[in-house]
This record gives sequence, structure tokens and C-alpha cells, in this order.
Amino acid sequence: MKRPLALTTVLLLAGCTTGPSLETQEEVTAPPGDSHHLTIGSAGFTESDLLAQMYALLLDKAGYKTSLLTVANRELYEPALESGQIDVVPEYAATFADWLNAKTHGADAAPVGSPDLGATMGALRELAAPRGLTVLDAGRAVDQNAFAVSASYARKHGLRTLGDLGASGLRVRLAAGDECVQRPYCEPGLKKTYGIRVTAVDPKGVGTTQAKRAVQSGEDQLVLTTTTDATLPGFGLVLLADDKHLQNADYVVPVVNRSRAGGKGAAAALDRLNDVLTTADLASMNEQVDSWRRLAKDVARSYLRDKGLLR
Amino acid sequence: MTGPPDDCLARNEWICGEYLSTRRQILLDAVLQHLQLTGISVLIGLVLAVPLAVLARRWRWSAAPVLAVTTILYTIPSLAMFSLLLPVYGLSASLVVAGLVLYSLTLLVRNILAGLRAVPEETRQAARGMGYGPIRLLLTVELPLAVPAAMAGLRVATVSAVSLVTVGAIVGFGGLGNLIYSGMNTYFKAQVLTASVLCVVIAVVADVLLLGIQRLLTPWTRAARS
Repeated sequence: MKRPLALTTVLLLAGCTTGPSLETQEEVTAPPGDSHHLTIGSAGFTESDLLAQMYALLLDKAGYKTSLLTVANRELYEPALESGQIDVVPEYAATFADWLNAKTHGADAAPVGSPDLGATMGALRELAAPRGLTVLDAGRAVDQNAFAVSASYARKHGLRTLGDLGASGLRVRLAAGDECVQRPYCEPGLKKTYGIRVTAVDPKGVGTTQAKRAVQSGEDQLVLTTTTDATLPGFGLVLLADDKHLQNADYVVPVVNRSRAGGKGAAAALDRLNDVLTTADLASMNEQVDSWRRLAKDVARSYLRDKGLLR
Repeated sequence: MTGPPDDCLARNEWICGEYLSTRRQILLDAVLQHLQLTGISVLIGLVLAVPLAVLARRWRWSAAPVLAVTTILYTIPSLAMFSLLLPVYGLSASLVVAGLVLYSLTLLVRNILAGLRAVPEETRQAARGMGYGPIRLLLTVELPLAVPAAMAGLRVATVSAVSLVTVGAIVGFGGLGNLIYSGMNTYFKAQVLTASVLCVVIAVVADVLLLGIQRLLTPWTRAARS
């Protein structure tokens, strides 16, 4: 008697807990929906957490009930976004477009992400729509690769943009990841697009402390980091503007599951962030979380209050 | 906010009172989730393991395949296990529970089976001589005598479940593991240390509790010693 009973209990438990079923896959072709309860996904790194928290606060204010789910990487959260287990995710336009492109057309497909935001968004929406995903509008905040020099070096040679650096004819050693020698946005692009004379790539990693120290000390002259890196002033570094648009348009965009959050309500709530959020704001919030170790939720809330989006 | 605030959070100290006071609710939630995931997994594992072990004891031919399958399950790396179960369970707590149940089976089935096998043949014959049927023999003689060995397995399974729960952080259901992973990403010393210490505390407390339960369940072992 005991054994069948025990097995039945377990089978019942297993039955109650299974995940996305066939019926939810049908909803991909359904009209835009407006679910009252929304799950917001975060990819687990600070900036993604901050954006997810801001989305949650804005949606809460618009009358939705929200919960947050942190998932290690895109390979895990993107299928969940398609199935509706996650409804809203902060993404980066060009990176996500290339990721979806590789998923749809194979890893060898030609990249669709480009420095042109319009073209990138077009390609991204084309790839996202058949998967039941809606890409909302991009704002001004962009997290893309960027190059920095020391402030004193910039002052001495009158540098403000990468174009200035190319025109100066200075020879620079570049602190970056070892993949930099192959990536079009890195060494080859600096040479071809800007005519910068890169003498060597010092493989210290992208935006690592060692890489920034090397430029601070003068061992290297140029360092590869990202536009939302707020630690640069601490190392006495300044960013050089990408005036010839070498970098891909990795603008922050909310991506939503159309059948659950594709309605006007959610889009209107999230669009309000686009009017205020800048790259510098993101950098400053990253610093508060990463260096000062404030809670992402508190940082996000006080930012939205400062901007008048939240009371 | 302009300059960095001067507190142990900004200084990134290993032990930080402000961390505990500002994150009290987060830590409490993480500990509760950790306890729930561990508890449910081990309980389901036990409910599955007892019949499997009894089955393997009753029909000798089934022992080898049952042990082989549960042992093979144990060798699957935890990251791979969760990825394999993902299509079935989606991003949910049940994904983590299912993985942990499968891991706990190896330890539980082996130990319960060892306990059942260790019941002396004379004891069994004495029970039969007193008119015990097979079910009564199992429930009132064999299973109670297997308790010490089974509890040893349960204790190891519980402690290992406490540590494996942390891997659930990759899908957002890792209890204290969520805090350890996010702390490691930003080199947040106080968070990594606090969450890790809490993990160890949970494991030790669970082990001591199970030891107490074992003593309550097997009063005869103490009587024999004294």
C-alpha cells in the first residue's frame, strides 16, 4: 500500500510544477496583450539590475503588479521571454539583434547590428516579431565600447575625440582584451576608420582595473572600456568621443512579450524613462551600486524621484 | 549624491554592520528560500528513495540497475543538470527542486538499502516465527532497524543539498546563492562572506537537528551503549 501512494504523490507534485506548455506557444501569434501581473527579467549584472528595477517601479506606478527574476544569461532568459515566463527585459539593441540573428540564422550569419540605430532597430524588430517579442523604442542611454586616455595626455595633445587622436599622429599602446586585434570595433577599426597608429595591444582585459592603471601610469596610452563606466575619473581618465561612429548602436531598449505586455499601457509606462535616462545617468547609478554598494532598488527609486517620474 | 559615502559598504570591508542592517529583509528572504528549497527537495527525495530501496531489497535483480541509474544521475554536473531540466520545468523553483531531488536519490537509496541489508537474518526469522507477514516485517522490524544507516544518508544528502541550492542562482532560485553570485560579480566582500557563513550555519544546524531526530527514533541504540 505504502509504495503506490508515495509514487502517486510524487507524480502529482511533478504534474503541478511543469513549465511552459504547448498552449502558451500558441500565444506567440495572439494580439498584443495587457497582463496585470508582469515579471521583469534581469541578466544579473549591475546595469541590467538597475534597469529592471526602474522598469518595475515605473510599471508599479502605472498600476501593474510586478516581480523581478534574475537569470544568469541571455541563453536562459530569452526563451523564457518568448514563453511568457518573463514579460519584460532590458536589452541592448545591436547586441540583442546579433544574438537573435545568430539564433535564427546560425552562428556564422552576417551581423545585423551596426552603428546606425535606425537600421539596427529595424533588423532587431524584424527578428523579434516572429518570436512574439515586441521591441519598444530606444532612449538616449547607450552602453557601447568606448576608448579613454588619461586627462593629462588629452590636455597636452588637445584630444577630445578619436578623430583628434588619429589626426595627431601619436603612437599609442592600447590596453584591451586579446580579442581586440580581430574585432572590427577595436584595433582594426581604430586603424582603418580613424587612422590611429596603434603600436601594440596590451592584453589586460576590457575595462579592468589593471588596464586602467596601465593608462594612468603611462605604460599604455589608450584603454578600451564602456560608455557607462563611472570609475574613469577615479583613474584620471577621460573618454574620447566616437565621432565617426565606429561602435555599434547598443542603445538600451525594453523588450517585452507581446501577448502579455505588448499593450499601450506598459509601453507608455516604460517610454517615460527614455525622456530622461542618459548614458551618464547610467554610469553614475552603476557607480553607486558597484563602488558604493548601495542597493540597486534604492538607487533606481531615488533616480526616478529626482527626475520627477516617481513621487 | 556626489562623493562616495564613507561607510564600510563603500570601503568594501569583509565584515560590515551596515550590510546587515540595510539588507536584513533580503537576507531573511534568501535564508527562507534556501530552507524551503532544501527541505522540499530532501523530503521528495526521501519519499522516492524509500520505495526504491525496498524494491531493490525485495527483488535482488533490480538492485544493480537502481543503484547504477541513481549513481549516474549524481555524476551529472549541477550546471548541466539544471540546463537539461530547463525545457521541462522552465525558470521556476521546481527546476531547482527537481535537480536536487535527483542528486539526493543516490545517497538516500544507497544508505537505506545498506540499512535494510544489514538487518540480521536471525532477527528476520525470529519475526517470521512470531507470525509476522512480509508487510508487517518490513514496517515494524526492517525499516526501524535500517534507520541509523538511512539517517546517515539523509544527513549527507541534506548537507549537500544546502550547498547545491546555491547553483540555482543561475535561474534566480538559489536562496543564499543569489547573493553569493551577485556579490562575486561586483567583488562585494561583505555580501559573499555573510551569505556563505549563513549557508554553513544552515548546513550545521540541519545536521545537528537530524542527529537529534535519529536519536529520538532509535532509543535502543542509546540503551545498548549505557
